[in-house]
Amino acid sequence: MQIPTVEELAAQLQAVSGADEVHPDASIQNIADVDSLDLMEWLYNFQNEYPGIPADESLFKDIDETTTMRTVHARLEALASETTAV
Amino acid sequence: MSGFKITGWGAAVPEQVVTSAELATRFGVDEDWVVSRCGIRERRVVEPGQTTASLAVTAGERALAVAGLTGADVAHLIVATATPEQPSPATSAFVHHGLGIAGSAHDVNAECSGFVYSMVSAAALMRIDPRPILVIGSDTHSLTVDPADRDLGILVGDGAAALVLEPTDRDWLQAWNLGADGSCTDSLKVLAGGSRMPTTGATVAAGLHFAKINGNEIYLNAVRFSVRSVRATLEQAKVQPEQVAHIVPHQANIRIVNSMLSHTGLDPQRLVSNLDRYGNTASASIPLALSEALDAGRIRDGELVLLAGFGAGMTWGSVLLEWGGTTR
Repeated sequence: MQIPTVEELAAQLQAVSGADEVHPDASIQNIADVDSLDLMEWLYNFQNEYPGIPADESLFKDIDETTTMRTVHARLEALASETTAV
Repeated sequence: MSGFKITGWGAAVPEQVVTSAELATRFGVDEDWVVSRCGIRERRVVEPGQTTASLAVTAGERALAVAGLTGADVAHLIVATATPEQPSPATSAFVHHGLGIAGSAHDVNAECSGFVYSMVSAAALMRIDPRPILVIGSDTHSLTVDPADRDLGILVGDGAAALVLEPTDRDWLQAWNLGADGSCTDSLKVLAGGSRMPTTGATVAAGLHFAKINGNEIYLNAVRFSVRSVRATLEQAKVQPEQVAHIVPHQANIRIVNSMLSHTGLDPQRLVSNLDRYGNTASASIPLALSEALDAGRIRDGELVLLAGFGAGMTWGSVLLEWGGTTR
């Protein structure tokens, strides 16, 4: 199943949050103007766009300093491949 | 078969104001963080002696006065609350006595969707017994929050508001949608005090009588379910989002409200909101905002008014009214 590139995911979060910049490798927790509700809004949009990928709030359950949009992208790829395998 | 019209409305909020600046100091955050997080600048909080029922009685008195009725004219009283006067009897019994209601009384607990659930229940009741119904939403969630809980502490406020419904051939109710998903009971909960976990010294010591929220889950589910409900209601009425003149959502968090508006295509300019002044007053939030809009003369005959709520459970519901009614 095709999912957006990591750059597209970062751009989507930037649009939702209104942050000046969301770099794919920036620690999400340290991006000014991005908080957990922005992540949920981004996730809601993603769920609508990709209903076949079982992404939910657990995507950010263990978020820490090391979590970036590249991390999120990798998790989504794993979810997509699990879904395809089934 | 009779429809309903709204002939009276009224609200009651405590006088004590707690500002977001005060809470910011208490929780060690910036006021801007609080306001940007939820859109709430201040909220009203009960003082000793003020209760869910006392607020409901005041709101009910005001609504009955607007309608030109007394408690003796009311055939049915419905009180929506999730913060009852005491575990037993129902809060509506206390309100029934306080207002001198002649007819029946019962509570509805659908959390923050409670008022919408009550409106739909009242509409059904009106069809089999076309006599005046008083519907009140009243909550005092400030009393259920752990004083150290920042996530919930910044959100909740106390208040009550009421509507008087009377029978009419020109039904104001155009469409409705109610729903629930009981798999989401962990999102917002009070664990102790019921049959599953009766109150003991240990539960109190552990703070299990306080409400606990999973903010992310609530956000996601609130948006998902309220969007679904609003779409279903508009579709049922064959109404386009741009035809809705006034949107009165549950005043939970301005970001949830904005998200719901954006995903349903409803016009943000038509939002009726007092969230910045009262916070999340749960069952009271929709009628409180509606009462203020009516007092301000904002709503006119022929206009479509959408009420939309969501709450713990999860529960959700929406109602589309045509002010002044229709024969269609």
